[in-house]
Amino acid sequence: MSTTDKKVSPATRWAVPGVAAVIGVAYLVTGLVGDDVAFGVFGLVLMLGAGGAFVLAARWSETAAGLRDRTDERINEIDRSASLAAGMVVLLAVLVMFMVEIAQGEDGSPYSQLGALGALSYVVSLTWLRFRR
Amino acid sequence: MRNVVREQRLARGLSQAALGDALGVSRQTVNSIETGRYMPSLPLAIALARFFSKTVEEVFDVND
Repeated sequence: MSTTDKKVSPATRWAVPGVAAVIGVAYLVTGLVGDDVAFGVFGLVLMLGAGGAFVLAARWSETAAGLRDRTDERINEIDRSASLAAGMVVLLAVLVMFMVEIAQGEDGSPYSQLGALGALSYVVSLTWLRFRR
Repeated sequence: MRNVVREQRLARGLSQAALGDALGVSRQTVNSIETGRYMPSLPLAIALARFFSKTVEEVFDVND
């Protein structure tokens, strides 16, 4: 439900840019560990830029603002549907690549493991949500 | 499902943005509800009805 008395915590408002920053730092660490500083710096700048762009967009875009404060149920529903669509596309790509690998005489790695992870995640989520709702 | 959100809002001289602010949703969401593109959750439907001092059935035509 959406009500005006619902306070939006700073943790909620900064979740997306925060995750973007964490991923950026992870890119940097990965680049440094792999002796590819350019990749690390580019990844950090890219993710910080994406997070900053999201925060700026929330000033003029109702959709971005809704994704930031999470109080609008319609935007949240759209976000869930978009996430589902993105997940289905990734799973479909994994399955196609798995079959391509098998057709080429390979063992299907890493797509077989990724597909199994997707299937397992679905079953665990289904079971968890089944008992919660 | 048809509804009278637009009529009730206009009768009170409110903009979509003002109604959205009162309910804690965006102007776009109010517009989507009014045009029937988005079906609000039960809590939001109740909040809308209460805002207009109506019942949910008076705001949303359950027979449509």
